[in-house]
Amino acid sequence: MQTASPGNRPYLLLLPAAILLIVFMAIPYLNILVTSFRNPGQGTPYADGYTLMNYARIFSSPLYQGQLFNTLWIGIVTTFATLVIGLPVAFQLGRADLRWRGLAYGIVLSPLLVGIVIRSYGWTILLGNNGVINRTLINLGLTEYPLPLMYNSLGIIIALVHVFLPFMILPIMSAVQSIDPAVVSAARSLGAGRATVIRRILLPLAMPGIQAGCILVFVLSLSAYVTPAMIGGLRVKTMAVTVVDALLDTFQWPLGAALALMLSAIGAVIVMIFARATRMKWKVG
Amino acid sequence: MTKVTIRNLTKIYGQAIKAVDSISLEIPSGEFVSLLGPSGCGKTTTLKMLAGFESVTSGSIAFDGDDVVAVPPEGRDIGMVFQNYALFPHMTVRGNLAFGLEMRKVPKAEMQRRIDATLDLVQLGPYADRYPRQLSGGQQQRVAIGRALVIEPRILLLDEPLANLDAKLREEMRVFIRDLQRRVGITTVYVTHDQAEAMTMSDRVVVMFGGKIAQQAPPSDIYDYPVSREVAGFVGQVNFIDGFVASVDGDLACIETPFGPAEVPAKTRGRGSAVTLALRPEAIDIVPDTAGHGIPATVVSSYFSGAILDYTLAMADGTKVDVKTIARTRFEPGAQVRLSVDAHRFWPIEAA
Repeated sequence: MQTASPGNRPYLLLLPAAILLIVFMAIPYLNILVTSFRNPGQGTPYADGYTLMNYARIFSSPLYQGQLFNTLWIGIVTTFATLVIGLPVAFQLGRADLRWRGLAYGIVLSPLLVGIVIRSYGWTILLGNNGVINRTLINLGLTEYPLPLMYNSLGIIIALVHVFLPFMILPIMSAVQSIDPAVVSAARSLGAGRATVIRRILLPLAMPGIQAGCILVFVLSLSAYVTPAMIGGLRVKTMAVTVVDALLDTFQWPLGAALALMLSAIGAVIVMIFARATRMKWKVG
Repeated sequence: MTKVTIRNLTKIYGQAIKAVDSISLEIPSGEFVSLLGPSGCGKTTTLKMLAGFESVTSGSIAFDGDDVVAVPPEGRDIGMVFQNYALFPHMTVRGNLAFGLEMRKVPKAEMQRRIDATLDLVQLGPYADRYPRQLSGGQQQRVAIGRALVIEPRILLLDEPLANLDAKLREEMRVFIRDLQRRVGITTVYVTHDQAEAMTMSDRVVVMFGGKIAQQAPPSDIYDYPVSREVAGFVGQVNFIDGFVASVDGDLACIETPFGPAEVPAKTRGRGSAVTLALRPEAIDIVPDTAGHGIPATVVSSYFSGAILDYTLAMADGTKVDVKTIARTRFEPGAQVRLSVDAHRFWPIEAA
């Protein structure tokens, strides 16, 4: 059965992934797109007929625009913070002469081993007005009133950074690991000191991992629901929380669909601009 | 132009593993020296200590009299070529060449001039704007050499630079590197485990075993006058012939061997003492049995390998002898033949 072997038709191997994507992504997305143009219903998810009203509502509402902007802002700051915290860690873990590699992996991955609900709940215990951090600060006399760490964007960012840090560290670490140590030796033999080696050699060569990590964390932050819902409470709402509210609480499926699409579209544009800006000519073409 | 002086250089790993064991070596300015030896002999460790990538346990390294042991690699002003080229994958050929000059803060105009001149030297002008992964292995190797030379370093260090190339290209690159080194006139240390490479390229070959220098001499001396079985065997095929001293006449000793008498330089051994002689396979000639002269032998195996025929023969007493000949007459296994030996090619190594 020569002709039927996957060796001769490699594209057959893509079939499972293709089916999965079409059934669980393309079709639902199409459904969301259609829903976003439907008329809102009374007591039903949506009514007959189509309209642009849902989009008009978003564009004319400072509330939604503010939430959209805040969600993007949280995504960008979270990405930047995980990069700043994760980069040195990833560089150390990626070193060829690292001992205890297994242990290091375990520590990096450990946040992923605890469910996201539990982790977010843990942060509410730490960040609350009566939480561990504020109580400690007050007892130490460093502050008179509790610092506002919860029910605001800061709290959401702190928790998201903790949750998504592994997604920044792992791709950078793997990029650093793939750097040939002889390249560093070559740079030093040509007269480069340690700082120059990092700036001119290691950072550019780790760029594929940095790019992947940033895109992963940004996209995950935009779509995060559980953590912003628990930490932000009713006061700060990210777009994902508002979309769920529209779908479940106020039962306005077309509006929820339009909001979700807006977030996806803007997120996609930002990712594309970022990917363009960090494009590595030496990797392609 | 830099003279390199190595004195009692030692590298000990952990408690007692002596990778390099008190070697001393003087490399005159402009000389091409090869460190030759099997893996683990300390040749690469020695090179890394010269480059500054490996710390020195004891001993000294001096460039033109300046001790560099405490100087980090980036301060030694060396050009280094690595086995896997170690090009910067994110920089073009031009970018790779510019790197070392940028570190030296060479002015823009002069930088351009030197890069262009070096691109010419390594014949890569048309490839200046390509990235390393767009080049063949041989081209990448030439970029690596150009990158090391463009900074006009004090010494050039090469760590098995041809090991990853195929046989044909390897021979071309040998000639290329040798010609380039002569033209630039730079003091060069070349590490290899390939004796043919060391032989064809070097002014002097330093053979290393077990962290020590076994012999250092020009290639032909290493080949013709090896100091030990190990050296003789490492730089090419060799027959070890047992004999004994028949007579000593001043500087010359006459050795009685199964191939007849051989005159070799006398060592301190007296008459009757056992001696082992080295005899290269190409110093023996095979003639048909009918020739009537020579030592009788039987062909055990014969292999054709292009330029030469490769024989193993058995002598009357069962001793096996390897012979290489450019003669085109082929004797099949089992054939009775006779051997004639170029008596000047015997060389005494330590007594058995």
